[in-house]
Amino acid sequence: MSHFYHFDTLSLHAGQTVDSEFGARATPIYQTTSYVFPDTDTAASIFNLERGGHAYSRITNPTVGVLEQRIAALEGGSAAVCTASGMAATFCAITAILGQGDHIVASSQMYGGNISLMKNTLPRFGITTTFVDPTDVEGFHAALQDNTRLVYGELIGNPGLDILDLEGVAAICAENHIPFMVDATFNTPYLCRCFDYGVNITIHSVTKWMGGHGAAIGGVVIDGGNFDWGASDKYPTITDDYAPFSGINLWEEFGPSAYAMRIRAEAMRDIGPTMSPMNAFLLLQGIETLSLRMDKHLANTKVMLEYLSGHEQVSWVSHPDLSAHRSHALAKKYLPKGAGSIVSFGVKGGRDAGKAFIENVELASHLANVGDSKTLIIHPATTTHSRIDADALVAAGISDDMIRLSVGLEDVADIQADFETGFRAAKKIANS
Amino acid sequence: MYFEVNGKKVFATTGGKEFDNKKPAVIFLHGSGLDHTFWGLHSRFFAFRKYTVLVPDLPGHSHSEGAALTSIEAMADWLNDVVTTLDIENISLVAHSQGCLIALEFAARYPQQLRSVSFIASGLATPVNPALIDNAENNPQAAIAMMTSWGFGSAGHLHQGPIPGNSMLSGGQKIMWRNVPDELATDLKACDAYENGKVVAPKIGGPIQVILGGQDRMAPRKVTKELVDHLSNPEVHIVTQSGHMVPLEAPDTCRDLLKTFIFANNPAT
Repeated sequence: MSHFYHFDTLSLHAGQTVDSEFGARATPIYQTTSYVFPDTDTAASIFNLERGGHAYSRITNPTVGVLEQRIAALEGGSAAVCTASGMAATFCAITAILGQGDHIVASSQMYGGNISLMKNTLPRFGITTTFVDPTDVEGFHAALQDNTRLVYGELIGNPGLDILDLEGVAAICAENHIPFMVDATFNTPYLCRCFDYGVNITIHSVTKWMGGHGAAIGGVVIDGGNFDWGASDKYPTITDDYAPFSGINLWEEFGPSAYAMRIRAEAMRDIGPTMSPMNAFLLLQGIETLSLRMDKHLANTKVMLEYLSGHEQVSWVSHPDLSAHRSHALAKKYLPKGAGSIVSFGVKGGRDAGKAFIENVELASHLANVGDSKTLIIHPATTTHSRIDADALVAAGISDDMIRLSVGLEDVADIQADFETGFRAAKKIANS
Repeated sequence: MYFEVNGKKVFATTGGKEFDNKKPAVIFLHGSGLDHTFWGLHSRFFAFRKYTVLVPDLPGHSHSEGAALTSIEAMADWLNDVVTTLDIENISLVAHSQGCLIALEFAARYPQQLRSVSFIASGLATPVNPALIDNAENNPQAAIAMMTSWGFGSAGHLHQGPIPGNSMLSGGQKIMWRNVPDELATDLKACDAYENGKVVAPKIGGPIQVILGGQDRMAPRKVTKELVDHLSNPEVHIVTQSGHMVPLEAPDTCRDLLKTFIFANNPAT
């Protein structure tokens, strides 16, 4: 019978060939710009994509390569390309297949950076986006245009926390022969492997739970290897001959990894949003404990949901694991272990009370990140989503009193004690 | 490129260079349920070194039209039709697994244009576990899991791969998904039914190379020894760190062996 390594084993070992010279058990940090070729023929064949190998660290690096193969293994993808940040991953992932005159259908409930990219930046390159309510699957279908080349969403919307119906949207994409790309940062492959539900490409900000320690910025694009790029003439960047590499046809030569190879051959070479080897090492250290950390994140989140739901100073709590959440059924389907460790809640007394809460907690850090091992809080309307307009804020499910909590790994009793301090300050404002 | 054989469109990649039947040719044959992409780390190398390269998808597989052929003998005849259609001379045939059975039949039946044969990871016959055939027909996911679990050695199971960032295990599984259930099941049944290897192997003349994976569980040493014993004076190489998928798992070693052998026996000027 068949046997494959399981998630925890792959988290520790996938992608790494133990160093043959010194036997280093940890993945070495190959802090080098370039690589000595054994002979001219080998050099030429690496440059001509006749063989694998490293030439220059802007394009590939052995430490980064281990991280890429480890994430591809965990996601079940055919290949992965790491980038300097999650936003770099999103930009590279989109521009690998879209250009002037092309169109995206995207969820309206996404990280503010994603919305800004599609609303403000990509139009300058002739790429337009129609945003749709992620809870309305038919809305994705209705928004398709003749020039639509991509459907994009987040499984767990940030920060509204609505769950995208992956299978529903994937069916629409398959029927219309359009790839379905999902930002899987909030779920990680430990909570949901999106390719199992028909998604074709995933991206992550690995800065968040994948790395998990708030120590390194990074992104990754994972090629599901399950999209037939050759079934239409919509994707010439994959299926046409690519002049800069002696006219290589990536679809013919690399098949299920053709999309990742396009990112490697074009974006990493011509744009260069490269992840550093040091960051790759730090992120690998984080991934080694991904399942352990996620289990603890989920356990703490469960306790915090009970605590916040029963607190007199909390006006509302939102999390897909709560039965009242409108995405609860989808969360149970796609995220049976738990729907992540982001919680949104409102503090009684509105914006000023929320401000008092944030300014009076000490253990919880007030900063613009999520998925750290430490508990984090922020006010999205004035920070992460401050650059999007009022209508988009409403579409993104962001209210003026919303506080976004990223539940950390501390002893949960200490998080609660810290919050009590914040709530006491908020109460004074609310009662004044 | 696409061309027509027996009224059906055949797809073959040519390694990034236009096909030119005036040059010495290297033809690569894939195994069960796979396609041309299996040879990506070899085809381009020869195409850029004065050879013309042809890596066809077998009928019904991936981009080639028609139904999968039901016997190894029919596949050998089809390959001859390809060679005749494209008027190819001076052929070095490179085959993997099921492709080796096709190569055995082809080399015995149509030796005229053949300059060398390289067999990779095969025996004289490939008896197939009945559970695998049953899964190929009724539970493709399980069949692909069985084949890739048995097919890859330790590096493959750790999702390593010769191309940075690429998982050869996942990539191999995705290729097979293109060819289930019909093509994979038909391929496996054709392999299981093939019994003519012992008869044809001794008839094959000319330079012969056998490349084997030291961790191969699909074609273990006992099985491959039979092939080696029945061939006339083959050069034999064992790639110790590879499973069944030698061209993917140890592409540099495999390519170097093929290069030395083909350059010597079918030189391109």
